[in-house]
Amino acid sequence: MSISDDTGALDYHRAREAAAASASSDAGAASSPLPLLRIVLAVAVALGLAAAIHLVGVQGGPATQLQLSLILGAAFGCVLQRSRFCFFCIWRDWLDRRDPRGLLGILTALAVGIAGYTLVFGAWLPDPSGTRLPPTAHIGPVSVALVLAGLAFGAGMAISGSCISAHLYRLGEGSSTSPFALIGAVGGFILGFLSWNDLYLSTIAGSPVLWLPRQLGYGGSLLASLAILAGLAWLLLRTGRMPPASPAVTQDPFVDVFIRRWPAWIGGLFVGLIGVAAYLRLSPLGVTAEIGSRSRQLAVGLDWLPLRLEGLDSFRGCATVIRDALLTPNGLFIAGIVTAAFAAALGAGEFKPKRPTGGQVLRGLTGGVLLGWGTVIGLGCTVGTLLSGISAGAVSGWVFAAALLAGTTVTLRLGRRLGWLA
Amino acid sequence: MSALARLRETLVAVATTVFATTAFAQSDALVTTDWLEKNLDNPKVRIVEVSVEPGLFERGHIPGAQNIVWHTDLVDTVERDIAKPEKFQALARKLGVDKDVTVVLYGDSNNWFAAWGAWVFDIYGLRDNVKLLDGGRKKWELEKRPVSTSPIAPKASAFTVAEPNRKLRARLLDVVSVVEKKTDARILDIRSPDEFSGKIIAPAGFQELALRAGHIPGSVNVPWARAVNQADGTLKSPQELKKLYAEVGIDGSKPVITTCRIGERSSHTWFILSRVLGYQVANYDGSWTEYGNVVGLPINNPAGTVWGGK
Repeated sequence: MSISDDTGALDYHRAREAAAASASSDAGAASSPLPLLRIVLAVAVALGLAAAIHLVGVQGGPATQLQLSLILGAAFGCVLQRSRFCFFCIWRDWLDRRDPRGLLGILTALAVGIAGYTLVFGAWLPDPSGTRLPPTAHIGPVSVALVLAGLAFGAGMAISGSCISAHLYRLGEGSSTSPFALIGAVGGFILGFLSWNDLYLSTIAGSPVLWLPRQLGYGGSLLASLAILAGLAWLLLRTGRMPPASPAVTQDPFVDVFIRRWPAWIGGLFVGLIGVAAYLRLSPLGVTAEIGSRSRQLAVGLDWLPLRLEGLDSFRGCATVIRDALLTPNGLFIAGIVTAAFAAALGAGEFKPKRPTGGQVLRGLTGGVLLGWGTVIGLGCTVGTLLSGISAGAVSGWVFAAALLAGTTVTLRLGRRLGWLA
Repeated sequence: MSALARLRETLVAVATTVFATTAFAQSDALVTTDWLEKNLDNPKVRIVEVSVEPGLFERGHIPGAQNIVWHTDLVDTVERDIAKPEKFQALARKLGVDKDVTVVLYGDSNNWFAAWGAWVFDIYGLRDNVKLLDGGRKKWELEKRPVSTSPIAPKASAFTVAEPNRKLRARLLDVVSVVEKKTDARILDIRSPDEFSGKIIAPAGFQELALRAGHIPGSVNVPWARAVNQADGTLKSPQELKKLYAEVGIDGSKPVITTCRIGERSSHTWFILSRVLGYQVANYDGSWTEYGNVVGLPINNPAGTVWGGK
């Protein structure tokens, strides 16, 4: 049973149906041995990851920070892969079939994130009414450029079949598109840096950094955000069409955890918790700082960038400051995502590498460029700006989310009409 | 209230007073990590972190410590100046700081910004009761001492800010007067040898620059980190420190002016000379980004870097 597909834009409904249809065989799998090689490989990768975590803890510079980054990255990658937490696939399920389950998973992640962040904020900045923002939280400027960034990022999702975090876990599933999308993203990052100064001077510099708790207080902000999420959930349940009831659990926890897909809301729950844990101990969740920083290093090395990127490094969000270190927290976080997703995919039989087609290469590269550009201008992606931003009570997170959905929807419809996108 | 309870209360009060006296008995400019851990619950001690890295304090600090954000709390955010008296008074009151409590400052990067904090505190009248934790965050963490993330809400103080002490702060005219030999003082530049010689204008990656390279004529160079034991971030012994600065002719016989690029690193050396060795020292916070940008002042540039096109 394969749950990955070639384009990376997977049909969730079909996958669920396939999972349901094979439930009996999965249940039977409890008695019949699973493919041994697959299990051995998955365990070997997991053990390798554990060894890496140990080694980083022993030798790394700021050891606890690096080690915890790798641990949380691994947890995040595992959760993304097991629950198929792909923003684009989830949105497509809704557009095509009015299947609300994936979106309910995202709402769950946001609700957990908002509640958890509020808990942390209360300790770190007891009074939100002053001029200060809670340290390091991703609260960005709300500008026209942010809307453009969201639209571009959404278009990039539709074309390449995923957002950046999903491309990372797909890399672990052997996707043929994701490597090209990530290469394209490097180009997009560099284009983003090149257009930054103009956009900064024309719109970003003068735009407000809006933080809901400043106006509403922590209680008010929490209630308002949860009310919006509840309203959206109600709308989804009212207008959505739940697919036929999926079969009951298989009675075999091993199969439920390692073979079958996790329900989206469980994925959302874990994503929210990992986000809060990362904010509490390290920095807000984000998957683009390392890629952005390395792209910037490359472009600076090639003498492509202006001498100064005005104000870029003074904003909250996925920072792209060039670092000298070989191992960085975000670099290890990314490595953790990909490796753990690889182990999880191996175990579930979802690691299916294929030779990429020309169309996949083209869609990956073009979509990737848009993803990269949107990330630089939006100061983060679906994880860094949308999830970590909305969790932090940042208006920028909500604006980016709305623009991104619009961009995806329009691009997907247009692409389908022209016969370019599936 | 029973007699027993009353007795216990009296004992606690006596113990507190004794403890508070011990807090004051430490008349040095520094406290040790050991002393601080024993005095974490001392009501007459306020612990304040001043770190460079944002979010460091919130994710774990010495239990009972409060936070000062150096980017905004101790400076004027529009003018290039330290916090104005009213702003400093409001901050000190909020922190529960006054002349009758011992204030222990500490931070990351070898107490670099904690020392800068001590300089600003001193300017506004808080001197002998303000101390640095020797070794700062680095030593506290190395010794595996506990950290906490719980906020505390101290009782606000009624601190009244003093007239700014001009003697602790050198302004451009003070420095020019030394250069022109109208005043007798020594200028100590604590930047790296390459900045001092004029090979570079500033270390890589720093935004605040000057239009010329080199140093103030007559100044001597001792990079600030040479005063620190790199292993645990503690200051070298007073004897070693005395020797280090005597080598360049700074022995306390004449007033000293410390300077660097923007006046923050130099406050670390200011603290050592002023508070540990007891010399008469003023910190020049205009530093090279002011002096090296002023039109028509003499500059010493041993590296021979000349301004111009290619």
